[in-house]
Amino acid sequence: MTSDAVARAESRVGKPTALLEVRSLTKRFGEVLANSDVDLTVMPGTVHGLIGENGAGKSTLLKMIYGVYTPDEGRMFVDGNLVAPGNPADARGLGIGMVFQDLRLVPALTVAENIALALPDGPTLKLRALSAKIEAASKEFGLAVDPTAKVRHLSIGERQRAEILKVLMTGARLVILDEPTSVLAPQEVEALLTVVASLRDQGLGIVLVTHKLNEVRAIADQVTVLRGGQAVLTSADPNDFSDEELVEAMVGRRVPPLSRVRQPVPASERAVLELQGATALGDRGYVALKGVDLEVHPGELVGVAGVAGSGQKELCEVALGLRPVSAGSVRVGDSPASGLGPSEAIAAGAVAIPEDPVADAVVPGLSVLEHMVLDGREVPRRGFGIDWQAVDARTTALDERVGLRMAPKKRTLASLSGGNIQRVLLTRELGQDATLVVAAYPSRGLDVANTRRTQEVLLEHRARGAAVLMVSEDLDELISVADRIAVMHDGHLVGVIETAGADRMSIGRLMLGGVA
Amino acid sequence: MIIDLLAGAVRGGTSIMYAGLGETISERAGIINLGTEGSMLLGALGGYAVTAHTGNPWLGVLGGAMAGALLSLVHAVLVVSRGANQFASGLTLYFLALGVTALFGVDYVSRQINSFTPYAVPGLSDIPGLGPILFDHDPLVYIAFVAAPIIWWVLFRTRVGLLVRTAGERSEALGVNGYSIKAVRYWSTVAGGALAGIGGAHISIAYANSWFENMIAGRGFIAVALVIFAMWNPLRIMAGAYLFGIALSLASVLQTAGYAVNQFALAAVPFVLTLVVLAVLGKRTMLAAPDELSKVFDNSRTA
Amino acid sequence: MTQEAQGTSGTGTETGAGTIPEPDTEVSTVSADETAAVAAAIVATALPAEVPTDRGPKISAGWSTGLRWFVALLAGLILFGAFVLANGADPIQVYADIWTSTLTQSGQFQQIILRAAPIALAGLAVVVPARAGLVNVGGEGQLIIGGIGAAAAALWLTPLMSPWVVVIAMMLFAMVAGALWAGIAAAMRLVVKVNEAVTTMLLNYVALYTMLFLILGPWKDPKALGQSTSVELNDAAKLPVIAGTQIHIGVIIAVVAAFAVWFALTRTTWGFRLSVVGGNGEAARRAGMPVVTLILTALLLGGALAGLAGFVQFAGMEYKLRPTFGLTIGYVAFLASWLSRHKPLPLLLASVVLAAIAVSGNSLQINSGLPAASVNILMGLLLVAVLGWTSPRKATS
Repeated sequence: MTSDAVARAESRVGKPTALLEVRSLTKRFGEVLANSDVDLTVMPGTVHGLIGENGAGKSTLLKMIYGVYTPDEGRMFVDGNLVAPGNPADARGLGIGMVFQDLRLVPALTVAENIALALPDGPTLKLRALSAKIEAASKEFGLAVDPTAKVRHLSIGERQRAEILKVLMTGARLVILDEPTSVLAPQEVEALLTVVASLRDQGLGIVLVTHKLNEVRAIADQVTVLRGGQAVLTSADPNDFSDEELVEAMVGRRVPPLSRVRQPVPASERAVLELQGATALGDRGYVALKGVDLEVHPGELVGVAGVAGSGQKELCEVALGLRPVSAGSVRVGDSPASGLGPSEAIAAGAVAIPEDPVADAVVPGLSVLEHMVLDGREVPRRGFGIDWQAVDARTTALDERVGLRMAPKKRTLASLSGGNIQRVLLTRELGQDATLVVAAYPSRGLDVANTRRTQEVLLEHRARGAAVLMVSEDLDELISVADRIAVMHDGHLVGVIETAGADRMSIGRLMLGGVA
Repeated sequence: MIIDLLAGAVRGGTSIMYAGLGETISERAGIINLGTEGSMLLGALGGYAVTAHTGNPWLGVLGGAMAGALLSLVHAVLVVSRGANQFASGLTLYFLALGVTALFGVDYVSRQINSFTPYAVPGLSDIPGLGPILFDHDPLVYIAFVAAPIIWWVLFRTRVGLLVRTAGERSEALGVNGYSIKAVRYWSTVAGGALAGIGGAHISIAYANSWFENMIAGRGFIAVALVIFAMWNPLRIMAGAYLFGIALSLASVLQTAGYAVNQFALAAVPFVLTLVVLAVLGKRTMLAAPDELSKVFDNSRTA
Repeated sequence: MTQEAQGTSGTGTETGAGTIPEPDTEVSTVSADETAAVAAAIVATALPAEVPTDRGPKISAGWSTGLRWFVALLAGLILFGAFVLANGADPIQVYADIWTSTLTQSGQFQQIILRAAPIALAGLAVVVPARAGLVNVGGEGQLIIGGIGAAAAALWLTPLMSPWVVVIAMMLFAMVAGALWAGIAAAMRLVVKVNEAVTTMLLNYVALYTMLFLILGPWKDPKALGQSTSVELNDAAKLPVIAGTQIHIGVIIAVVAAFAVWFALTRTTWGFRLSVVGGNGEAARRAGMPVVTLILTALLLGGALAGLAGFVQFAGMEYKLRPTFGLTIGYVAFLASWLSRHKPLPLLLASVVLAAIAVSGNSLQINSGLPAASVNILMGLLLVAVLGWTSPRKATS
């Protein structure tokens, strides 16, 4: 806590008590320490930046504050009083409001109806009176929202304003914004930050969760950095630290686990995967992949780095023919120029590890063995059916080749853990002599030994002459295995860095939207 | 003859309207109930039996509503609490209702009751054309005139309606704001069944003035389809129900007029009409489906 | 919460990867609600919320499921008894009558088998689409249309061809008619995205009224007394009976069809693909499967099987179309399919059980004066109990 911020808070509100004070919060899930001894103080009239990589423990901390989780240890104070919110309603009663990243608005309802849902006021809706109230609040807080518009028809930025307005109208004095800018266009980010500043000036406390350094610089009075569940910096003044120091606090410095000699990539060979100005819509209907040019050559492993939701998922799906491009082109091997579909990509020799295995690749009722034929390739036949004995033998061979020790072949996928599911898919896909490997988060859910083995298998593919595209959240992993790292930010490919001689800092800056 | 046809449409469409309004409530909350047909059957028998025993058709309407609500309560238990397949549960309950009404209905098959009689609204019924079409009917027809706008108002202008709609669109938003998703769905399904029960009672104690086995003859299923192309809107249900009323009354009007038309060809008309309308409008109206209901409809994804 | 899971998986321990470990969470029958909630919260990849119906983990199978089935059936019987009692009859006497009349007379047993055949065939019409995640409630209509197809073949071809050809033609006509009828629903599902449960249900009524139209109009037998019917099938074209019994070869057709469907679903590539589409359509798409074709073939084959049921009912049982032709067989078959969890061979057993209940309805009418349709209650209650209390899936919140 810096004297500067306190002084500013005191001068503005004349009340030195912290709006929220969190002391030594600890939360375990099984053996996993999601939050360890975390402190956080938010004064009225300040913006508190909370930064950290994915999985650093930010959302666990927020959920404890908002009453979704109960901390295992530690205490919370609101206005100096000890509190223990048991559910979100308790937290709201204490004046804590949360704007979730995925927002909790009902798309089919109007803004006014959504706010009415959160603001119980008699058996009838009195939408006209409510709209007037919303317009008044909207002026007061500087959040322009049309109360009669259906949420479905609003842009993401407008939805966010509506959600913030809803939180404010239910009496929140501490507003938690969970990565609000990750889904916004730059102009919208600017508008949002203006709103946050005006809320601060009205004496509210704001917790702003973000990945982006420039936002911290622009608006935060204090910053807390989480890494691996621990607070590396606690309620510090961002001005006391350089960008380099903050990035280092966020991502840490670790020794790359896998060192190897990199064979040079024969540059003359024709690329296996070629994207030219590839543009595609995301599931929510906005453009998620923006004019990406990328080539992956035989014998090359290209890593994809980026903050979650920067277009990695769409990049993989476009490369596999699963998502049509709205502009530009995509080619895998000798695939036809006119539209790449899943069958064409498979025929061209692509294998894939999906980003969300359970939603996209798992048929819960089928066994491990039955999943082995869901790769779109020729299946051994016997009579009318599948020669399961041959599949079984093939599977055993794959399992030995890949070496990830799959679960027993008779087990249904519904009975397997995330890690075991991942090993089934890795074995099936990476066991083949593919020409293109598209692996999204291949080591998700795996232990250290299996993670290492997976990396080795990917490198074996590369050595064999396959083109490998690998998405990971772990920069160390990418630096240790990739030849080049493509960095994505907001749907754009913002840079491709030769791994030899690359440093985490410059990649981190690119990921955060800066310049390398 | 046109006047007869339209007056018959208003009378014949009334039961479908009640059932359609009920199904609208339940589908708005994300629950599709093929048991609507069963609720109508139970409502028809319940209404008839209570009227027979008490001599009061108004108590009959109440009995029909309760019978219909009871069946949909079973649907709610199976679907909301036990996670059963909504289509399978609904059809099973229809079949159950077929049996129950057959068993308890025998005693009422040729029994006379003190049924609703048409009440010509003084003044209004004398308007040429419009009078006989709209203002010379049993009381349940008049109640239906206001039921649709009232239910529209409840759905779109009250808190209860807001909760119902949220349950069908994004139910987790109910939980976030401290409401029970289950409670909302239970009440919506039961209310839907009660309205279907009133629709059934209208058939037995005001329309046919008799009870016979399986007398609903698919009107409940038409109501379910009607909800889809009425885009879950009570006011469109009203219009659609009268449209089907025309199809239903076509047979009797043509016959009384002396045309030798095969009655079964005409009986198929409402169902064919439903299918044709679905085929023409289905794609567009399905886009208006409440989000969570679409997930139920889309039990296996095709693209 | 994660340790017990690893114990059973026997594939080594994993803690996780990335900056924060992702616990290795087992989702299966064992996880308590709160465990599941926490797991859901921390495991980024959403885990399957429900276990599919017919291939659940073996742990929950075994005799605890058997016990639940037993309790469900008992509850159904008791409730039905209560209904009977409420109607003034003696439930114990009714059950005794059902028992003696259905199971102690050999003629009755043959009746049950004869009734079961079309139920099993129409049940298969539910089983096949269900494998692809589709709900076909149109067995009733597809069966009637099949009957109309068979009747058409009989009407048009009997004067022209030998009885054997007529029989084969009836069968083909029936199956094609049933498939086309289901094809309407399939087209509406694929093109305009209207759910097949709604459309197949409506088509049931159209089929019924089409038949009524025919037997009251163009196909009316001028010699029929009382009730209108179509002309009776020529004796030579009736399905042959196994010597010394009343059992016609339609029964054999049903058994063969059940085995054929069992084979197609469990032993062919097509059947395997269907179960992938039904289990996770996106996984099927990503594996390059022709999802649209699979859905179409599943519904068409279902319709053809129901049409076959109509053929068996027409050429083996009723020999003519009458207003009650095939009445409720399609609905009973729907219940039979759900009772057997859409497995073809158990379906045969379920069909016999439901046929026995249906036959007992007749004796109920004779002995206790209760309407035959009362036994629909018993069938409905059985399925209510099974849907509600033997399903391995949990309620979705």
